[in-house]
Amino acid sequence: MRIAISIAGQEWRYWSRTKLAGAVALSALLLVCISVYATSSQVSKERDTRESLQIEAQDTFRDQPARHPHRMVHYGHYVFRTPTALASLDPGVDPFTGTVMFLEGHRQNSATFSPSYDGAQAGPFSRLSPALVYQLLAPLILIVMGFGVISREREANTDRILVSSGISPISMWLGKTMALLGIAILLLIPLLLGTVSARAGFVVSLTFIALYFLYFVAWVLVITAVSSWSQRSSVSLLILLGAWLFFCALLPRVIVSASNTAIPNNSQIETDMDVIFAMRSVGDGHNANDPAFSRLRANLLEEYGVSRVEDLPVNFRGMVAQTSEAELTQILNEYAEKRMANHHKQTQFVKSFEFLSPFITLQSASMIVAGTDGKTHHRFLREAEALRFEFVQGLNEAHAHKMSYDNDINRSKDSESNLRARVSPDNWRVLNDFHFHADSASMRLERVSSSLGIMVIWVLAFTIVGFVGARRLPEIDHG
Amino acid sequence: MDSFIREWKLAMKDRVVLVSFFVVTLLSSYSSIVGLNESASELTMIERVEKQVNQDREYSLAKQSDAGSAAYYVFHFTYDPPSSLAFVSRGVRDELPWKHRIRMLALEGQIYETDAGNPQLSGLGKLDFAFVAAFLLPLFFIILLYDLRAVEIRNNRWHFLAATSGDGRQLLMTRLVLRSFLLLSALILPFVVAATYSGVSLMQMMLVIAAVLVNTLIWSVLAFFVINRIKSGPTTAAVLLGCWFLFAIAIPVGGKHLVEKLIEVPRGGELLLTQRETVNDAWDLPKEATMLPFLERHPQWTNTPPITKQFEWRWYYAFQQVGDQTVEPISKALSEGIVKRDTAMGLVALASPSLLTQRLISQTANTDIKSFQRYDKCVRSFHQSLREFHYPMMFGNVEYSLEHMTGLPSFKPCIN
Repeated sequence: MRIAISIAGQEWRYWSRTKLAGAVALSALLLVCISVYATSSQVSKERDTRESLQIEAQDTFRDQPARHPHRMVHYGHYVFRTPTALASLDPGVDPFTGTVMFLEGHRQNSATFSPSYDGAQAGPFSRLSPALVYQLLAPLILIVMGFGVISREREANTDRILVSSGISPISMWLGKTMALLGIAILLLIPLLLGTVSARAGFVVSLTFIALYFLYFVAWVLVITAVSSWSQRSSVSLLILLGAWLFFCALLPRVIVSASNTAIPNNSQIETDMDVIFAMRSVGDGHNANDPAFSRLRANLLEEYGVSRVEDLPVNFRGMVAQTSEAELTQILNEYAEKRMANHHKQTQFVKSFEFLSPFITLQSASMIVAGTDGKTHHRFLREAEALRFEFVQGLNEAHAHKMSYDNDINRSKDSESNLRARVSPDNWRVLNDFHFHADSASMRLERVSSSLGIMVIWVLAFTIVGFVGARRLPEIDHG
Repeated sequence: MDSFIREWKLAMKDRVVLVSFFVVTLLSSYSSIVGLNESASELTMIERVEKQVNQDREYSLAKQSDAGSAAYYVFHFTYDPPSSLAFVSRGVRDELPWKHRIRMLALEGQIYETDAGNPQLSGLGKLDFAFVAAFLLPLFFIILLYDLRAVEIRNNRWHFLAATSGDGRQLLMTRLVLRSFLLLSALILPFVVAATYSGVSLMQMMLVIAAVLVNTLIWSVLAFFVINRIKSGPTTAAVLLGCWFLFAIAIPVGGKHLVEKLIEVPRGGELLLTQRETVNDAWDLPKEATMLPFLERHPQWTNTPPITKQFEWRWYYAFQQVGDQTVEPISKALSEGIVKRDTAMGLVALASPSLLTQRLISQTANTDIKSFQRYDKCVRSFHQSLREFHYPMMFGNVEYSLEHMTGLPSFKPCIN
C-alpha cells in the first residue's frame, strides 16, 4: 500500500510538471466552481421570489371584494413551484416545465412560460447546470488527464524497471488509480461545497454526493483499466474518447429519440380535442338549460318535492356548476393521468437502458435525489389540481347555497340587482395555502437504490477488469 | 494522383477510419429517419386535429344564435407545418409553440401556451442531423486526425516520409483531405437520400451541405495547424478537444449568458398577470372605462349605441381587446427582445463554427427563431381577421346568420 501511495505521489508530480495536465486540471476546476456558484446564487434568488409571489397570490385572492362567486371561479389563482434545495445543482425538469401555473374553473392549464421561451438559443449544451458539467464534461477531463497513466510507462519501458525493482504490477495499478482518483476528488470539492451550502438534509446530501462519487470512481477505473490493457497511449486515448462519445453524448440521445418513436406522446391539443368530444355528454356548466342537466333537475325537484326550479331551496345554477365541474374534472383527470402515465412510460423506457451507460443512470438518479425529476413534477401537477378543484367547488358551494336563484338569474337586469347577486369576501377563504414539498429523504433514497446498485456493479466490474489488466502487465511487456 | 490512390488504400486498411465512417453513416441515417418520422407524425397530427376542430366548429356553431356566443364557442386551429427539410433540425420546435387552438378572446392570454414534450427527457436532448453535423462531427475529426503525424514520428518514419515527399506537409495534407472527405461523405450521403425522399429542393440541400462544409473546412484547417505544431498525439488530441469545448460549449454558453444579461426582455409571467388583471377588472369598472380605449383604437364604431345592460357581448369583446391593448407594449418588447437576442446570438455564432453550422441548418429548415416569429405574426394576423369579421355583427349593422358565418375566416399557414 505504501508503494501504491508513493506511485500516486509520483504521478501527481508528473502532472504538476506537465504544462498541459496542469492547465487542463486548473481550467476544469475553474469551470466547475463557476457553474456551481452561478447556478446556486440564481436558484436561491428564484426561490425567494417564488415564495413571496405565492403568498402574494393567496392574499390577492382572499382580499377580493364581494362578487358573484362564479366571477372568482374565473378570476383564478396562481401556484408556484418553489425549487428544492438541490435544484441549485441539478435543476432537472425545471427549465422545461415552467414554474408557475394558473388555476381556474373548467380548465387544467399547463405550467406556462418556461425559461426557454425568451432565452437565447445556444445549441444543445446551452443548459449547462453543475449537474451536467459533472455528468458530461468531468469524465472528459479525467480521460485527458489519465489515458496514459499506465500505457505511458509501458511505451517508455519504465514499467519494466518498476516491476524489476520489486514493485508489483498490482501496486502500480492501484497507485495510478489512486492518483487519478485524487483528481476526481479534487473536482468533486465544489460540488461538495455546493451540496453542503444547499442544506438539503444529511441523508439526501450524502446520497447526492455518493452518486457522483461512484460515477467518478467508475470512470477512473475505466480509464486506468483501458490504460493498462492498451499497448500504446494513443490507442488508450482513442478507446476512451470513443467510450465517452458513445456513453455520454450519443447513447442517451439515441435512446431518447427511440423512446419518442416507440411511445409517441399525444400533444396537448390532441388531448384537449379528446376531452372536448368526451365532454359533449357532460354539458356546458354555464348553461343550466343544457339538456345534459335535465336529470339533475328532475332529481332535485323530486328530492325537495317542488315542481319548479325557482321553488328549490338551493340555487339550481350553483348546483349545475358544481355537478358539471365534478364531472368535467373527472374527465380532465382521466386524460391528465393518461398523459402522465405516457411520460412515465417513456422515462422508464430510457431508464431501462441505464445498465448500458452510467451517464443515464446518474442523470436520472441525480434528478430524483435533487427532487427535480418528472415524477415529482407530476405530483406537483396533481396537488395543484387538487387545490384547484377544492377552491372551485368551494366557490360553487357558495353559489348554490348562499345566493338565491332569483337573485342569480336577474343579476344582469340593472346595477342594483347586480349588487344583490354577490356574496361576501368571507367566502374567498375557501382557498387553501399551497405548499409543495419534494419527496421525503427515505422515499428518494428508496427510488434511487437500484441506480446506486448499478453504479456499484460498474465499479466492481471495472475493478476486476483493471486488476486483471494489471496482472497481465509484465506479460504484455515481455510477450 | 498516385499518392492519393496509395493513401486511399492505406485508409481503407485503417480500422479507426472504417469504424468512424461506419458510425457517422449510421448516425446520419438514424437521425434522418427519426427526423422524417417526427415530421410525418406532426403532419398526421395536424391533419387529425384540423378535422376535429372543423367538426367541433360545425357542432358548436349550429347551437349559437348570436355573434357573441358564436365567437365564444368556436375555436380555430393554427399551426406551422414542418418544412420538407425540418427533419434535419428540431430547432426551437420542441421549446416554442408552433400550434394553437385559439378563439376570439384576448389573444395575449392564449398565444404563449406551449406544448412541450416529456420534460424529463428534454434534459437529455434529442439526436437530430444538425446536432450530428455541427457538434459531433468535430469529435470524429479529432479521433480520426489527432495521431496523423504523431504515429509516423513514433514509428521513426516521419523524417523518411518528409524527405521523400517534399517537407511532409503535402503527404499530411493528402491524408487529411482524404479523411475529411470520407467523414463528410459519410454524413452527407444518408442526408441526400433522406432529403430526396422528403422532396427537398436542390437549393436547400446545397445550403445544408454548404453549412456542413464550413464546419468541415474549419476543423480540417484547425487540425492541420495543430498537427503540424505538436509532435505528441495525445497532446494534439487534448488541444483539439479544448478547441471543441470552446466552440461547442464555452462560447455558446458564455455568449448566451452575456446576451441575456445585456438584452433584457420583460418577464412573461408579468405580461400574463397584467393581461388577466385588466380583463378581470373590467367586469367591475364602469362600461366607459372599456369602451373609450376601445373606440379610440376603432373609431369606425364610434356610432355604436352606448352599453346600457349589465352584460352585452360587444362590451365583453371590447374588454378582451382592451386587455390585449394594455399589454401591447410588453408583448412588443418581449417579441423584439427575442429577435434582438437571436441576432446577438448570430454574432456569437461567428466565433463558434458548431453554433454557426447549427444555426445555418435550422434557418434553412425553417425551425429557427425567425420561423417562430413568422408563425407568431401569422397567428396574430389571423386573430385580427377574426375580430374584423365579428365586429361588424357586434358594433355595426351586419345581422348574425348561419349563412353569414360561412364567411368565417379559416386559418392558412404562412409558408415563406
